[in-house]
Amino acid sequence: MSQNQIDRRTLLKGLGTLMALPMLEAMRPLAYASGSGAISAVPTRMAFLFVPNGIDIPNWTPSAAGELSLTPILEPLRGLEKDFSIMTGLAQNNASALGDGPGDHARSTAAWLTGVHAKKTSGADIRNGISVDQVAAQSIGNKTRFASLEIGCERGGMAGDCDSGYSCAYSSNISWRSESSPVPKEVNPRLVFERLFGTGGKEAEESQAKRELFNKSILDFVLEDATNLKARLGRRDQMKMEEYFSAVRDIEKRLISFENTARLQAAAGLGKPAGIPSDFGEHIRLMGDMMILAFQADLTRVCTFMFANDGSNRSYAQIGVSDGHHDISHHGRQEDKLAKKKKIDTYHTTQLAYILNRMKSIKEGDGTMLDHTLLVYGAGISDGDRHNHNNLPILLAGRGGGLKSGQHFMFPENTPLNNLFVTMLDKVGVNVEKLGDSNGKLQGIF
Amino acid sequence: MSRFSAIRMVGVGFSVSLITLGLMAPVESTAQKKANQKGSAQKSQSAIQTSKATQPNFDSDVKAVIEKYCVSCHSDSMPPGGVALKKGLSAGDIQKNSGTWQRIAKNVAMKHMPPEGSPAPSQDQRIKFVNWIDGALVQDCKLADPGRVTLRRLNREEYNNTVRDLLGVTIRPADDFPSDDVGYGFDNIGDVLSMSPLLMEKYLAASDKVMKDAIRASRSKTTQIDGSLLKITGSANAREGWLEMFSVATGTAKFTVKSPGWYKIRVIAGEQHAGPEFAKMDLKVNQDKVTEFDIKAPFAKPEAYEYRLKLTPGEWNIGGTFTNDYYADKKDRNMAIFSISLSGPLEDNPIRTEFQKTYIPTIPPKEQWESEARKQLNSFADRAYRRPITKEELDRLMNVFSFGARSGEGYEKAFQVACQAVLCNPNFLYRVELDSANIKSRTLTPYETASRLSYFLWSSTPDQTLLDLAKNGELSKPEIVAAQVQRMLEDPKSDALVQNFGLQWLQLRKLPYFEPDKKMFPEYSADLVDDMIQETSLYIKNILRENRPISEFIDSKYTFLNENMAKHYGIAGIAGTDFRKVSTVGTGRGGVLTQAAILTVTSNPTRTSPTKRGRWVLEQILGSPPPPPPPGVGDLQDEKKFTASMTLRQRLEEHRKNPSCATCHSRMDAIGFGFENFDTVGKWRVQDAGTKVDSSATLPGGRKFTGAVELKSILLENKKEFARNFAEKLLTFALGRGIYESDKCFIDEIVKKASASDYKFHSIVQGVVASEPFRKRTLEGTNP
Repeated sequence: MSQNQIDRRTLLKGLGTLMALPMLEAMRPLAYASGSGAISAVPTRMAFLFVPNGIDIPNWTPSAAGELSLTPILEPLRGLEKDFSIMTGLAQNNASALGDGPGDHARSTAAWLTGVHAKKTSGADIRNGISVDQVAAQSIGNKTRFASLEIGCERGGMAGDCDSGYSCAYSSNISWRSESSPVPKEVNPRLVFERLFGTGGKEAEESQAKRELFNKSILDFVLEDATNLKARLGRRDQMKMEEYFSAVRDIEKRLISFENTARLQAAAGLGKPAGIPSDFGEHIRLMGDMMILAFQADLTRVCTFMFANDGSNRSYAQIGVSDGHHDISHHGRQEDKLAKKKKIDTYHTTQLAYILNRMKSIKEGDGTMLDHTLLVYGAGISDGDRHNHNNLPILLAGRGGGLKSGQHFMFPENTPLNNLFVTMLDKVGVNVEKLGDSNGKLQGIF
Repeated sequence: MSRFSAIRMVGVGFSVSLITLGLMAPVESTAQKKANQKGSAQKSQSAIQTSKATQPNFDSDVKAVIEKYCVSCHSDSMPPGGVALKKGLSAGDIQKNSGTWQRIAKNVAMKHMPPEGSPAPSQDQRIKFVNWIDGALVQDCKLADPGRVTLRRLNREEYNNTVRDLLGVTIRPADDFPSDDVGYGFDNIGDVLSMSPLLMEKYLAASDKVMKDAIRASRSKTTQIDGSLLKITGSANAREGWLEMFSVATGTAKFTVKSPGWYKIRVIAGEQHAGPEFAKMDLKVNQDKVTEFDIKAPFAKPEAYEYRLKLTPGEWNIGGTFTNDYYADKKDRNMAIFSISLSGPLEDNPIRTEFQKTYIPTIPPKEQWESEARKQLNSFADRAYRRPITKEELDRLMNVFSFGARSGEGYEKAFQVACQAVLCNPNFLYRVELDSANIKSRTLTPYETASRLSYFLWSSTPDQTLLDLAKNGELSKPEIVAAQVQRMLEDPKSDALVQNFGLQWLQLRKLPYFEPDKKMFPEYSADLVDDMIQETSLYIKNILRENRPISEFIDSKYTFLNENMAKHYGIAGIAGTDFRKVSTVGTGRGGVLTQAAILTVTSNPTRTSPTKRGRWVLEQILGSPPPPPPPGVGDLQDEKKFTASMTLRQRLEEHRKNPSCATCHSRMDAIGFGFENFDTVGKWRVQDAGTKVDSSATLPGGRKFTGAVELKSILLENKKEFARNFAEKLLTFALGRGIYESDKCFIDEIVKKASASDYKFHSIVQGVVASEPFRKRTLEGTNP
C-alpha cells in the first residue's frame, strides 16, 4: 500500500533485462565449474508455477489436439508457441472431496504436486504427501547449494481457518518435504537474493569464512542436544524434532559446499532488489528473475513458485479489475465476471511470457536455459466456480529431457496429473515407480 | 474417532439456546406462523421452553427420527459430510462417536438437516432429539482428558519478544522469517508450526544478528608495542621485553591510525632511582614534545603513564625520551620503557548494553575465561531454556565457547558464539514439555507452567519473577498462579495478548491485504488502515486493562479515535493524531462489530457483503460458522434471473429461493443486512447508489429488527453463548492446540465461573489458566 513506486529497472541495474545478460553470461562458468573442475553438461531444471482459483477453461483450451493453436488466455505467449505444450485431461483426483466436504482451495493446493488426499484438519496431525519437487530435491538436490527453492508472491495464511476446516498449511504450500512438513516459501525478492548470494559487502565477505566455521560448531552442538532431547519427548513431539534434525543437517551440508559462493556473490553483488514491489506484475517478474538467477548460477535445479495462494481474493486494479479474484472466480456463468476472470488469467500468462522469454534469451550449452528446463504452469482447480479437479489447466514449457513442445496433448479423462510428474522425474534422472496416485507414465510427450 | 481429530466442538446446550436467540428457524405450526407474522416471536419461544421439559426417550425420539428422516441419504457408500448412519442404532453407538453426534445434534438443532425440501421432523421432535443427545454426552470433568499439546516452536512474534526480553535488543529479526502457518484461527498451534531448512537458516542468521546487537564489540583497538621492539636513538639497549635507557635516549613506536578521533597513549615505564629527582620522560609525537612525566615507579614495579590526544588517519611515531640522566657516587639514574600502546578511537566505545553489564561485567583475564564463561553461560542458558540447564548440557555448551576462544577473536566473541548456540538450540526454539512412560497424565512442572503463562499472556519468555517462583515451587500453588496472572495482565507486555489473540480472533491480520476499489474509495490509505487497527487494538486493550465485561466487545458507548478516524466516522471535534476515548452515543456505533476495521475486512473490494459480515458474526462472535457453499453453486438456474437493475438485497433474496442456499444464507444475510448503514470501508451511509439503505431484516426465528443497534441488543440477550465462544477461542490460543470434544466440560466450567462476574475479561483468563488442559498434560510415551 506504499506510495513508493519501486522502479524495477533501477532495482535491477546490473541484473535487469538489458544489463543482466552479459553479467549472467559471465557468471555461467562459475556454475558449471563445480566439483571435478571439468565443465559438466548443462543440467535439466524443474520448475512448478502455480496460479490460484482455476483458469477460465473455454478461453484457455486449444480447440483441437495436435499442433498448438493459441487461445485468448495463451495469446501473451505468442512467439513462444514452439516452446511449450498444453495438456488437457489431467486430473488431481485426490483434490476432490471424497467425503470430506468443502475445502477445495486448500485441498487442491495440497494435492497439486503430491497427488495425495490431504487429511482434513485445522491443525492437529497434518497429513499430506511428499511433492514431486521434493522428490527431485532429495535425489538431485545434493548437487547444488540449495536442494530446492520455494518462492511466491503471497505470504501464508494471515488469519482464520484458511478453508473450511483445512489448516492454512495446506492452502499456502505446494511443496511438501514429508507428509507432515510443508516447505514455506519466501515472498520478498530481497530476501531470496540474500539467501542465494549472501548479504554482500566487503566486511561480510571477509568474515564469511570465519562465521561459517562458528556456525558449523554451533550446528554440531545443537544436534547433540537435540538427540538428547528427542529421546525424552512423546511420539508426536519426536516427529517435530525430526523436522529440526533434517533442517539442521540440510544446512550443515550447505556449509561444506560454500567456497563458490563468495565469487558468485561478488559477481551478483550489483543488483540486490530493494523489497517487494507494489505492483503485482513487477513482483511476479522479479521473483521470476530470482528463480532464473538461481538456475543460472546453478544454486538449485528445482523451484516451486506460487503466484498467489489458492482462494486469494486480491484485486487487479492495474488491469481494471477491482473486485477480488476469488469472488470473480465464482462467476456463476455471469458474462461480466467471466470476462474479468479471463482478464486476470491473461495477466498471469503475460507474466509467464516474461519469465519464459527471459529463459529463452539465456544461452546455455548448445541452446538456451529454456531448452534445459521443464516448467509446469497451471492450477489445482479447473473451473473456479465448480471447484472441479479434473481436466486441469496445465502448461508444460521448455525442452528439458527432450520434451516435445508446440503441442496440445489430450489425455483420457481423469489421467492422474502425477503421471506427468513421474514422467518428468524420469527425465531428470530420478526413478520412482509411483508418486501419490500415479498409475503409469505419460506416453508420447518426449 | 481419535481425540486428535479435534472436531470443532460446539456444545449441544448451545444449539438449543441458539433457537431462543432466533438464529434458527423453528418448524412452526400454522397458528404460530400467524402469530409470528404479527411480529411476536415470544410465543414460539415459550413453546420451545415448554417442550424442553418433557423427557426424551432413545427409541422414539432418536432412533425413530434417524431411521425416518436421515438414513435414506446417509447410508450411501459415500455418505454426505462423511456422516454414515444405519438402522438399528443403539444408545452406545452415540457415546462411542460423541464428536459425530455433537455435529449431528447441532445440525438438527440449527435446521441444517434434513435439508430444506426433504421430509423433516417437527420442532418438538427436534428439541427432544437434541436434548436426548445432549444428556447422553454429558461428561464428567474429573474423568476428562486434559489433552496434549504438541511441541511448540516459537512463532515469529514469540521469537521477537523473547529475544527482546532475554537480550534487551529492540530489533525484530523474525519479521524476515517465513510466515507461520495458521491452524484453528491462530498462528501459535504446535501441530502446524513446522521447521524447514529455510527457517533454520534464518534462526542461525538471526542468532548472529541479535547477539551482535547485545554484545556491542567496540571498534576501538589497542595496539601495543613491546619495549624491546622500539626504535632506538641515543644510549639504550633492547632487553628481553623492555628497553633499558642508560643515558639520554629515545624509544619510538610507529602506529597506523585508521579512524580519526581521540586516542590514548600509554607508556609503561620505570626508573632506577638516583640523585635528587625522578627520571623524566618527554612524550613525543612525531618528534614534538607533547608532555613530560616524572617516572616515579621503580624498574621492578613499572607503571603506566597516559596521555590523550586527537589523531587523524595516517602514520604516527610515538616515543618516550629519557631526558635527565644522572651519575654520581656510583649512583646511576636510568630509565626503562616496557611498552608503548595506542588505544582508540576512544569516543567509539559504545555504551555497554544491559546484556554486557549482566553477563560480561568485565573481560576476565585469560586464565579465568573458562570459569567465568561457565558461570555466566549457566545463568544465561537457564533463562533462555526457561529452566535450569543440566551439567551435561553446560559441558557441551562450553565446547562451543572453547572453540570460539581458540579463534583468537577475544572473550566477547567466544561468549557471543556460545550464546548463539543457545539461541539455535531446540531447548530454546521449542517450548519443551517432556513425556515419560507409564503414566496417563501429569501436572505440569512449575517451570513449564511459567512458560505456559508467559507465552499465553505476553507471547514471550518468563521473566525473573516467574522463574524464581518456579524455582522455589510456589508456582504449583493455584493462588500464586492467580496472583501472577493478575500481575502479568497489568504489565505492558500483555499488549501482546491484544495483538496476537485479539487481532487474530477478529481476523484483522488480513486487513492490510484488503484492497478496496481506489476509484470508489479514494480516502482509503495505508494510514487509514493503521488507524482502523489502532482503534480496535485500543478498544480490546481497554477491555483487558480495565477488566470490562466481554459483552463490551458486542456493544458499548465508547471507542478510541483520532482526528483521521473521527472524520471517517463523521464525528466532529476531535483534532490531532493521538487517539482518545470518545463517546459513541448517537453515532450508531459501539462495540467491535461497528468498528471500521471489522466492517472493512468483511467487505468485497467494490461493495459491502452482508453474507460475509453475517458469517463473521456467526463464526467469530457466536462460534457457529456455517459451512462454505457447496461446489457448483454458480450453476444455479435462478442466478439467470439476475438483472442488472437488481439491488444486492434483491439478488441475495433471489439466491435464497434455492433451498440448498437458503439454510445458511437466511442466517448470514439477515445478520449482515443489519450493518448496511456502514459502507465497504465502514463509513456511515443512508444512501447506497441513490437508493435509501434498508438495514432491516428478519432472523430465521421470525424476529425482525432494523439496524445494528437493534441487532446487537438481540445478540446480547444471551451473553453466555458469546462467553462460551470467547472462552473456546481464548483456550485455543492459550494452549496452542485445537479444542477436543473432551474439552467441553472444561469450557463449561470456565463459562460458569465467569458468569458470576458478568463475564469480565480477567475472570475468563483466570478460568482458562485454572483449567485442567492448561495445568496438565496427557502423555503418550516416548517409544517411537
